[in-house]
Amino acid sequence: MLKKDLKLSLGPLLYYWPRDLTLDFYTQVAGWPVDVVYLGETVCSRRHELRLDDWMQVAQKLADAGKEVVLSTQTLIESESDLKALRKIVENKNFRVEANDFGAVHLLVQAGVPFVAGPALNIYNPDTLACMATLNAIRWVPPVEMPRSMLISMPVPENMETELFSFGRLPLAFSARCFTARRYNLQKDDCQFRCIDHADGLDLNTREGEAFLVMNGIQTQSANVHTLAHRLNELTETAVTHLRLSPQSQRMADIVKLFRDALDEKISAADAKAKLETCMVSAGCDGYWLGTSGSSMGAD
Amino acid sequence: MPATLLELICPAGSLPALKAAVDHGADGVYLGLKDNTNARNFSGLNFDARSLAEGIGYAHGKHRKVLLALNTYPQPATLSRWQQAVDTAAEAGVDAIILADPGLMAYASKTHPDLRLHLSVQGSATNYEAINFYHQHFGIQRAVLPRVLSLPQVENVRRHTPVELELFGFGGLCVMVEGRCLLSSYACGDSPNTFGACSPGHAVRWQQTPQGMETRLNGVLIDRYADHEKAGYPTLCKGRFEVQGETYYALEEPTSLNTLELLPEMHRLGIAAVKIEGRQRSPAYVAQVTQVWRAAIDAVKANAENFRPQTSWLAQLDKVSEGSMHTLGAYYRPWK
Amino acid sequence: MATNMTQAVQKTKMPEIVGKLLGQLPAWPATQAFVTAFNLTVWKKLRELDWDGIHGRKFCVVIKDLQLALHFSVTQKGLRAEKPVQPDVIFTASLMDFIRLALRLEDPDTLFFNRRLLIEGNTDVGLRVKNMLDGVEFETLLDSFPGPLGRVVMYARKKLQQT
Repeated sequence: MLKKDLKLSLGPLLYYWPRDLTLDFYTQVAGWPVDVVYLGETVCSRRHELRLDDWMQVAQKLADAGKEVVLSTQTLIESESDLKALRKIVENKNFRVEANDFGAVHLLVQAGVPFVAGPALNIYNPDTLACMATLNAIRWVPPVEMPRSMLISMPVPENMETELFSFGRLPLAFSARCFTARRYNLQKDDCQFRCIDHADGLDLNTREGEAFLVMNGIQTQSANVHTLAHRLNELTETAVTHLRLSPQSQRMADIVKLFRDALDEKISAADAKAKLETCMVSAGCDGYWLGTSGSSMGAD
Repeated sequence: MPATLLELICPAGSLPALKAAVDHGADGVYLGLKDNTNARNFSGLNFDARSLAEGIGYAHGKHRKVLLALNTYPQPATLSRWQQAVDTAAEAGVDAIILADPGLMAYASKTHPDLRLHLSVQGSATNYEAINFYHQHFGIQRAVLPRVLSLPQVENVRRHTPVELELFGFGGLCVMVEGRCLLSSYACGDSPNTFGACSPGHAVRWQQTPQGMETRLNGVLIDRYADHEKAGYPTLCKGRFEVQGETYYALEEPTSLNTLELLPEMHRLGIAAVKIEGRQRSPAYVAQVTQVWRAAIDAVKANAENFRPQTSWLAQLDKVSEGSMHTLGAYYRPWK
Repeated sequence: MATNMTQAVQKTKMPEIVGKLLGQLPAWPATQAFVTAFNLTVWKKLRELDWDGIHGRKFCVVIKDLQLALHFSVTQKGLRAEKPVQPDVIFTASLMDFIRLALRLEDPDTLFFNRRLLIEGNTDVGLRVKNMLDGVEFETLLDSFPGPLGRVVMYARKKLQQT
């Protein structure tokens, strides 16, 4: 028996895709069975294929198509111009905001608006979660490394929604250094926007040829694709209300539909897993959910 | 002029290290308890109630400060242990506790309103709005900045917050924003945030092989060193990996941070404290590094304009460094 | 800088003849001698440490330049010589580096970075022992030596500190 009324969210696009591709992608999203769509640049302030105004237009179109739209803020906020961009997002009157840094939380609290507490806020315990609820967070995304056992023992405040990172390469680390630029021996400030050539990140293997990580500008991701499609029955005792699917460049429509069908029990867990494997950009993993190394895939 | 300027804060993984720091001129030491309430949770390291009391007695006897790091993230099942650690610290009479978790800050400020709170580098505060958040809600009085900001960015933070700033001066260099790195748990299940260590000993294996010395984390090959090559800590960010057919230090070389030459600038900006990394290191390291930085800070305070790092200082610091910091920038572009 | 380091290392190398002599010794008597000396001196100060999880572990200390391997374990009563089979942890370094470590003149991590100290096997146990020993004050250890021997140790430390 699966948990009822779980909603699907499309997480923010973590990669840097060409403008037309991005706009086309979100035109399609309008027709997908997702309930919530997160928009905006969360990784690097230099990326500019879409400016905030462009994102706002995409947001409006998706809202018109009946989606709940949330604007995500950048995770690493260093400079005054980063803060300026952040303030613009906080001050927007139309859409909810996901805070990925406590600077963003501070501004949202000052503005007196409810917000989504993003996965980079490191909410690991009931006191911190309660604190976020007091500050008017209406939804939280647990850290991606939080296992099911820990999530189950988190008392979630009333009216607080819980969104679980359920599909995609895991955002593992952020740096001030750009690893993609470093790969090409370029200055970060003159990176020539090489991220645009790597639609799902730049593969990093061990010296033994094992796929290990993916470099995405200043972000480091897992090479393996984290997926919980085959573990939806394990959500029953949790407070989870939303499943977050993180965009990849290929077959995202199929992936969303697979999750929807699995939630609607139109296909079995085993079936969902098998079909999903044909859609993923690399091998799957679910170790974090099981409380072990994030890169591993547990037995069924 | 700020009340506190360029305090020298040194690491203490043990009582002898604490004494070495105090004896060689540290204004304060920072330390942790023997469990995962701090981010240097390594076997055999850190303080229990008895050594903590003795350490505080020793430091206070010489009018130096003791700061206790409780800078990991408590979890539902263990939250009370972190709270007890806050109580322990308050009762033992530490001069401040260093925290990263907002829930724990709320507990500390409510339960021990007179206890001074510092924001740990693990709190990932890289901008003044974040620092001001912790200040306004929990009364944080000092923030340790992640090792990712440029000095102009630090200056901008300084201008927009009443909170004292502490900068890392020397030691291991996290290439990732502290508190926002899960590379270790991705490979071995334990991360700094929850376990209190990156690359914990139980998952690390060193092995001499015909191809060289191999370092592995839970089986993942971090690097392989030829006999003449210097080794780095077994952290994933300092390994050599293959990208597009080329094998290199894809994220960061084994290297140490050394900001000795920036001291006059830190002095001008009114930086409250300089932190030396290395609670996992020996008393011998603490003594050597503390001595050099004491001399350097005294020289800057005496005459900031004419300050030049002495070559003997640099040689002394180079000697204990991970990797060779002077190789930076020769082949690769400036750091970022 | 590298050159300075090499010079320093060469300067502090044992005289070749001493190395050769020691190298002639079979491993078992050497282990016995080490274990006995250890138990008669510093063990008195070390027994109070928290050895939980270390009892029963087999250690091997390889003195590279002497081609000598000492095999022992830690028991309630001190070190015990062991047969050279399947150690849990192996520490490898030169005799002089081990001496400098013991005299607290050298930082183990620095030796590790410079490939002068290798810890193989169960890293956690290895690091734990390293950290535990670092946590004992040198003066405390020194007290465990009988008067004249203590003075010899202090003298050696001072001499080595200058190199």
